Amino acid sequence: MGSATTTTTTTTATIPVTVDGQTIEVKPGTTVLEAARMLKISIPTLCHHSAVEAYGACRVCMTEIEVRGKKRMVTACNFPIREPLAVFAESDATKRQRRGVLSMMLARWPNVPAIQTLAKRYGVQNPGYKHPLRNEAPDACILCGLCVKACSEMVWEDVIAFAGRGARRRVAMPFGKQSERCTGCGTCAYICPTGAIKVADEKNNPVDPARIRKYGFRLTKEMATLDDSQCKMRRVGTAHLVEIMDAYDLLPTHNYKFGKHAEIARISSPVWTSLVRQNVPDGCWVGCQMSCAKAVDDFVPRTGPYKGRKVLVDGPEYETVASCGSNIGVFEPHDIIELNFYCDTYGIDTISFGTACAFAMECYEAGVLDKRKTGGLDLKFGNATAALELLHHMSRGEGFGVLVGQGIRQMKRIFAERFGGDPKFLHDIGMEAKGLEYSEYVSKESLAQQAGYAMAQKGPQHDEAWLIFMDMVNKQLPTFEKKAEALYYFPMWRTWFGLMGLCKLPWNDVEPEDNAKWPEPNKVPGHVEGYENFLSGMIGGDFKIQDILKMSERVYNFQRVFAIRMGHGRREDDRGPYRAMGPVTAEEYESRAERYDGQLKELVKVDPAGKSTAQKMALLRQYREEQYEGVLDAVYKRRGWTRNGTPTPETLKGLGIDYPWVVEVVKARMAEEGSA
Amino acid sequence: MPWRAGLTVADVLRERQFVFPLLVVSIDGVHVPRDAFATTAVPERAVVLVLHLMSGG
Repeated sequence: MGSATTTTTTTTATIPVTVDGQTIEVKPGTTVLEAARMLKISIPTLCHHSAVEAYGACRVCMTEIEVRGKKRMVTACNFPIREPLAVFAESDATKRQRRGVLSMMLARWPNVPAIQTLAKRYGVQNPGYKHPLRNEAPDACILCGLCVKACSEMVWEDVIAFAGRGARRRVAMPFGKQSERCTGCGTCAYICPTGAIKVADEKNNPVDPARIRKYGFRLTKEMATLDDSQCKMRRVGTAHLVEIMDAYDLLPTHNYKFGKHAEIARISSPVWTSLVRQNVPDGCWVGCQMSCAKAVDDFVPRTGPYKGRKVLVDGPEYETVASCGSNIGVFEPHDIIELNFYCDTYGIDTISFGTACAFAMECYEAGVLDKRKTGGLDLKFGNATAALELLHHMSRGEGFGVLVGQGIRQMKRIFAERFGGDPKFLHDIGMEAKGLEYSEYVSKESLAQQAGYAMAQKGPQHDEAWLIFMDMVNKQLPTFEKKAEALYYFPMWRTWFGLMGLCKLPWNDVEPEDNAKWPEPNKVPGHVEGYENFLSGMIGGDFKIQDILKMSERVYNFQRVFAIRMGHGRREDDRGPYRAMGPVTAEEYESRAERYDGQLKELVKVDPAGKSTAQKMALLRQYREEQYEGVLDAVYKRRGWTRNGTPTPETLKGLGIDYPWVVEVVKARMAEEGSA
Repeated sequence: MPWRAGLTVADVLRERQFVFPLLVVSIDGVHVPRDAFATTAVPERAVVLVLHLMSGG
């Protein structure tokens, strides 16, 4: 291991700034206030907040600067540094200016603590005149405008604004009435420096609203100040992941054969940013400022019952871009939007449609299907017109659409029985488990994710666990036991969002500024703490993460028992198709031959030299399938289940759900499997 | 990966094609803030740890 020190060098153009004799190099555009704060030099502010754009309204930050030999006064909060300058944060001229401003403020709002504190700092006494608009309330509105800026820039609602002029100036809603557009998110109250705005309506009667609000406001600020440099959820939603998944070879392409495509730029996030409406709240969740659900206005479909008419399309988000785009070989954004629109209109899930269509397309290209069997549809990868026609057929219950509409599990059976398809091949490439189509990530190189998908109770949705980066890239889960621990923690944690009726995205699609400094940043501990407080503040008590996991574990085990009672919940139900685990076809193997040959050498301890692709594929498959069984064993053990995936009576007792009718179900299954 | 004089954290991430925005980076156990990736030099024989967090639906 090398030195524990790092060397910092400047590689971008910077500007020297001197603040009260101390010099610092700053990037062009840095404000005088920011430069001073970098040097720990205090400049007072009232209308400034890092979550909104500075606008210099209160004038308390007036500061003397010198540029090219000339001195002048500027508002430090929004004066951008473009050339070398000197700042005199506490010069006589600066102090004189601030005293004048504070004197007027103190005359009008004598009892507001924020003003009293600053007045004291600058030696401003109560002025000897009575201000005609004197307001003696300690929580008086000082017209700083932060609430107006926050409602506009953070919430995108513009519910409140300044009304009146001069002495009549005030913050108000339109026509002085309660606006129906106000979601009661409380952002204005949070950002108000005097407490003039109070949230009066506690609609859900929480036990401790202040405790909830404290953590809610923290998230509000993160969304407003950090999202642009993190996931850009407010700009493009989850579609920001499209080019990222492609870069890591994880974007499903041609029915999950591959993880990237040469035409990725055509469906990358800048394309979606330009197509979706911006800067409006999506209304998906009251007061949520992530607003990641996006809409396309005035879209004109080229097919179907809405052909030629302007329609509004909700989306597309990442899963739809991948399922109705790359996974079926479509890289035309407007076709993806149209598939998105008709899936929504017909009430068909975009993931299930895209994954089912991709399966049908591979069957078509592999010769299992032909035009006669598809009713004339030329279902080649990339044929968006055929995909749209198939979707319309599904909606009308016509022709080949009837088969695809039954989902991949039924298609596999039907294609084998009616069309002579090879059942093994169909099973290998049919991306479903438990009868549900896979969501849109290539899991071949992450054993933990393979299990995260196939073991998920509802079927291969990644909302129980998304472990690809932890496992494949970070190498944080090198053993079966570590994978099993992750496949305990994350499914239990994420199940809790469902139990509470909460969206999972604010947990880890924005992260606290200090997240990296926590021991396990992948868990976003700062936000976990927020959820602990949210639950405690809502229903009372002092819940910790262990309590939360236990809540989920009870439900999770109940779900497993229900599955067992319905004849499912066996080990074989927790296995997915081989396409989720490794290369099914020679084309796949050879496209990443260097990777797979290397794994044969390093992991399987077999020299691939001189072996045919088929031989190498068989060796790799045997290894990967054995590894998968190892993960199943470890996860079952961690969850307190038998080797066949049955919760034991001891596990149920430990969770306090060992009701006789529940224990009866698992005992019957254990007797059947010989583990009673 | 091969070291060269002036190699920065941003260079390492670019060359490894680590384009995900939620990264946690440390050099020999010392955390490197994201806004310092471009200006932080990687010493010779240093151990650079890059953790990818997670996001998405």
